[in-house]
Parts: sequence; C-alpha cells; structure tokens
Amino acid sequence: MAQARPIPPEAEIRAIVGHNFPGGIYTVAHWENFLLTECTGADLLADGMVHPVVLFHMPILGCGASIAEMFALGQAESDFSIGIESYDWEMFSPLHEDVPYAISGKVVSAERRATADGHPFDRIQFQFEVAHAGGAVAARTTITWHYRRGLPS
Amino acid sequence: MNVVAGDKIPDWLMESVRPERMRTMAAILRDPNPVHWDRNACAALGFGQRTINQGPLGLSYMVNMLHAWAGQGSIRRLVMTFPLVVLDGDRITARGAVTDVREVDGERLADCDIWLEREPGDRPLMGTATVKLAD
Repeated sequence: MAQARPIPPEAEIRAIVGHNFPGGIYTVAHWENFLLTECTGADLLADGMVHPVVLFHMPILGCGASIAEMFALGQAESDFSIGIESYDWEMFSPLHEDVPYAISGKVVSAERRATADGHPFDRIQFQFEVAHAGGAVAARTTITWHYRRGLPS
Repeated sequence: MNVVAGDKIPDWLMESVRPERMRTMAAILRDPNPVHWDRNACAALGFGQRTINQGPLGLSYMVNMLHAWAGQGSIRRLVMTFPLVVLDGDRITARGAVTDVREVDGERLADCDIWLEREPGDRPLMGTATVKLAD
C-alpha cells in the first residue's frame, strides 16, 4: 500500500509570506504574442496589443520567478499535487508588443487548510504587478494555488 | 452599446482543443508539468491518453468571447475558478451573461458571469468578468 508523503511543517509554509521575487523587466516580442494568440484560437489583436492571456506567464517570468520555483517555494509534493483555486487578473490598460514593462511579485498569503473530507492542503497566493515605464500599474494578477499534502507516493 | 443585466453574451466556440497548442503554450510558459504535453503521464493519472489544457488557455477562450462582444482592450477584470479539467479533443463553448451594468469614474462597466461549457451543465471553468462598454 502506498505511503502518504510527509507534510512540511505549517510554520515553514507560513514563513514564505512576504517573499519577494527579484523583479525585472519583460518585453513581449511579436513572435511570442503571435504564438500565444494562435494558441488561444484568436487572430492577432489590433495595433500590436498583446493578448491578455499573457498575464499568466509574463508576470511570473518577468519578475525573475518560474512556475517550477513557485512549486518549490510551497514545497509541492509533485507537479501533480498543485490545484488551481483561482486566477484574478485586473487590467488597467492594454499591453503592447515590444514595450518594456517593470514586473514585481511576492507571496501575499500562505496558510494550511483542509478539504471538507479532511485532506490537508496549503493555500498559497502570489501577487504580481506589471507597470509602465512611468510607474503606473497596467495590470495586477493574483494566483491562488492549492498544494495538496499527504498524497500517496 | 446598449447592454442591460440579463443580456446573454454571444457564444465563442473552440471546436476541438488541440494538444499541439498545449505543447506550444508549455514552452512559452516554461511550464514543466507533463500533464500538458505527455499523454502517458495523463493516462497514469486516470485521464486516458489525453493531455490537460492549461488553465490560462481555457481562460483565453472567454477573453476571445468578451473581445468579440465588447471589443479588444475592453476587459477590466477576470476572476476565474477551475472546477474541472479541459482535455485535448474537447469541444468547448465559452458563454456568459451580464449580471449588472454600472458607471465608475465616467466608464460604463458590465459585470458578467462567464464560463466554459463542454456539455449542457458541465462547466469546467467558471468566473466573473468586468468589461468596459463602448459609448
């Protein structure tokens, strides 16, 4: 019978709140927007506007993080142990190709919870901001993932 | 744009979710999770030989629906939950309905319920959107 994997101490999970990713600059090139938009099944948007689906990976990569690092930060048991609670994307102005944007990101909450049937998980929220060169925020995204614990190894 | 609560947003159809698009997306996202590109990994998880669509890609179908309805650059906010996975080969329809129309700082905004539908009543993605309405 498969053994449940050890669960990281709750204090270690809570301690990641406030973790700041390095931050950086991200420019969406035409080729990237072209491929990304094609994946959505849409035609390219007008005037070099970037498809809003960019708001998943652009903030993550632009602030010097990665999906793998976010998994590791929450001590994910495996790639398969992550569940999505929600994505919240606030868009204050459209993004455009070949324009550099400043990106920042941090962990805003991390807490242990349990499902209705008693299975533990850690609910971790990451928040990112995408800003114009002048500092005005163009978009803010909040990713809420569940790191399921004690899955069979 | 004459919009009132209760209006339905015209559907947007993805005839067949394609695995090659998931693979391209995985590369762009630098997403190492094999559920998006390795059918054997998905089979081991009980999904059969079908890869799992990335959450943002499912969300993008609703973006396309909102753009077709209210125009490019009109979306102000999307909040999305992911109760079920979307698999390669699925026929997916993005749907939505207006729940409220309000004015904020001189902009007319429509709040909407939005969702993806695989079969009637089967909603793998569900959420809300706020969209700026054209004058």
